[in-house]
Amino acid sequence: MRRKVPHGLKRPKVRQTWNKYNLYNISRMQTPTAYDKTFFQQKWKAKALTRAYHGEQIKEKHWERMFRRSIPAVVPMDHEYLAKHDGSELAAGRGSGLDEAEKGRSPAKTPYMQMTFHPTERRLDTAIFRALFASSARQARQFVTHGFVKVNGKKMRYPGYMLNPGDMFQVDPERVMWATGARKDQDKYETSGEYMTTPEENEPVDEVAEEDEDADTAATADAESTPTADATEATERTPEELRKNLTALMEQAKTYLKDPKDLSPKQKIELRSFRTNLKRAISRNKATESEADDYESQLAALTAQVEELTKEQAKLLKEALQRAHENPYDPSKPYLTPWAPRPYMSAFAFIPRYLEVSHNICSAVYLRHPVARPGLAEVPTPFHKETNQLAHAWYLRRR
Amino acid sequence: MPPRIRAPALQPPNTTYTPSTRFQCPYHPSSQARPFSNSTPHASRLRRRMFAWLQGPGRAFKEPLPGSTNYLGAYDRSGALIRGRGLERRAQGQREEGKHASDGAEDEAVGVDALTEEKERLEREAKEKREGELPPETLEDLRPFPLNREFRSQAVLSEELREAIWERVVKRGSVRGVSAALGVAMERVAAVVRLKEVERNKPLALPYARAVLAMLPQTPLDTRIKPRPHESINDLPVHQATTTQLFHPVSESRHFTRVDAGLVFDSRLPLLPADARIPHPELVAQAGMTRTEVLEAQKALDEKEKEERRLREEKRKKREAKNKVVQGRRWDFVFQEVSVESVGEDGRSAKGVGWRYGFPHEDRKRGQVKIPRRVEA
Repeated sequence: MRRKVPHGLKRPKVRQTWNKYNLYNISRMQTPTAYDKTFFQQKWKAKALTRAYHGEQIKEKHWERMFRRSIPAVVPMDHEYLAKHDGSELAAGRGSGLDEAEKGRSPAKTPYMQMTFHPTERRLDTAIFRALFASSARQARQFVTHGFVKVNGKKMRYPGYMLNPGDMFQVDPERVMWATGARKDQDKYETSGEYMTTPEENEPVDEVAEEDEDADTAATADAESTPTADATEATERTPEELRKNLTALMEQAKTYLKDPKDLSPKQKIELRSFRTNLKRAISRNKATESEADDYESQLAALTAQVEELTKEQAKLLKEALQRAHENPYDPSKPYLTPWAPRPYMSAFAFIPRYLEVSHNICSAVYLRHPVARPGLAEVPTPFHKETNQLAHAWYLRRR
Repeated sequence: MPPRIRAPALQPPNTTYTPSTRFQCPYHPSSQARPFSNSTPHASRLRRRMFAWLQGPGRAFKEPLPGSTNYLGAYDRSGALIRGRGLERRAQGQREEGKHASDGAEDEAVGVDALTEEKERLEREAKEKREGELPPETLEDLRPFPLNREFRSQAVLSEELREAIWERVVKRGSVRGVSAALGVAMERVAAVVRLKEVERNKPLALPYARAVLAMLPQTPLDTRIKPRPHESINDLPVHQATTTQLFHPVSESRHFTRVDAGLVFDSRLPLLPADARIPHPELVAQAGMTRTEVLEAQKALDEKEKEERRLREEKRKKREAKNKVVQGRRWDFVFQEVSVESVGEDGRSAKGVGWRYGFPHEDRKRGQVKIPRRVEA
């Protein structure tokens, strides 16, 4: 596998990635001109462009062996029409059906040439990329070689494995979350909120926090003065667990504050100070059991106040809490937590019909080979049909 | 030789790297680095253009559009959502209208009873909500690649529909019937059931799944008797023999049907007519029946399918019983009976087992696939 310039701006090549350079290149793509080129040059150019997208990691000789000049296609049939007619109506008259004034539009043409690269879609690495489990085909390939991918429950280390209809492939969900999630260090530059990596640096020091510190230390002192009661408890939590708990509480407080319409000004102030305290507790990294319980009860009290408002709001809050629970803040993860999709993902998010994907478990089934049908080709290709046709012509034996 | 004089140490170029400039164009031509040049390098001009695009028209793609897909085809050159053009104007008019309405409501509030007022308020809010929402995507909006007009992002099954498919298959035991009833291809129905089974005993990557599904067009669960199909379930594969033109003269008076056309391609092994080659031939037979007849026919088919599955399973078990299995620590060793006679008379039959003297290996030949070709499920 050769390393190539992935995203040039001078002579742009479109690749199978979700990179923003790639998005920009797709947005300004143009079909290469034909008037200033010989037919050979046109085909050469088309081949170069299309191969940069379709399986650029595949060696040319290998692809030449994979290439097939016959292209699979289907025609959707209407069973009611088949039941009503036996086909003689198409052979009526002079052999091509009767001339009828009310004959509808001719059906859309089948875009066979857009299917030139259909054999590459069978590859395991490409299928992983198409199922939105990796942010580029190269990353998908790496997942396979590094052993994060299973086919039919067995580890498969060959990215060039040709999937058979009915094969199920699974990618390690942690890898998928990492590949498709926002980068962890981005929070330093983004204005997404008061997410903190090194709390001491990022913590906004305001008067409220300063005031609360005294109360906070008092609470700690209380907690430390009564260690015997906690120590006797069988369900004592480790420092890591405590920290996790506190961060979960933090998330809850954040979700409340996200929707400030539901809260009165007083509640907002209370919640903010609660959050500041909690932040400090987390940053000290040695919160005690009782302190954690204290915070939990504090938040419960605040929640109860909120819940008194209306049933509808309580329901919304519950859902928000549930979401925060499912998508928690966890600094041990290699991606940004709470998980968020990486930038520019939505412009590339589509799933072709030959795959059935379950994103819940990061698994997919390769249902059948991609086919062309009237007006629609199932192979996702960013090129115009003429470019693909020229590339197809290149790979026919006689050129 | 005097020591070579090194170039005077220029002041280092401006290297202050503040977070605010991180995602803007990072290239700022420094007057100190190139004191006499007014032009900027070509590459940086391209980069500047790219970052200008990313901050201008490309900004819409950075975050997903809430409640909608977000593809390149849905935006014009200036980065405005094509189907959302009327929205801004409408929203402005609506705001004024809403103000008037609320004024009126305040005046009337004394006389009108609270119930009708509440009703009016709800109606008004619903209307505002409807008008504030984006209209549904057209086919044009579902094109991720502007140059390729033959590809569009097609809908995936929604979570409710997948649940419904799984429930029905478990209850009814027939993939074929569920496929025909819901308008989902048979392979997809089977795959959904298989994936659902795996989902039940695995931790779920819920935030990821939710985010991805929100970016995709979805087919919702349709509870009507004839639901809107998810996809075409009766796809006729184009036979390779039919891709070339074939002229076959027949008399005008002849009743020339699909079956006759199949005979033209090969009189001994004719192509089957379309109604036999589609995945759901039973639907053609059921087209003229009444509803009760259809239900009965479907029931019979379901029974037949179950019976066939049972027979297949029996056959498989019988086949496996022939093999001798020795339990190992990590693997089971399966011994299969083979015969030396299987190599055939000339000793070159493909069915032969093991390496045979004088029979060359093909694994160094060009184009031999040496990685696994199938994985048994």
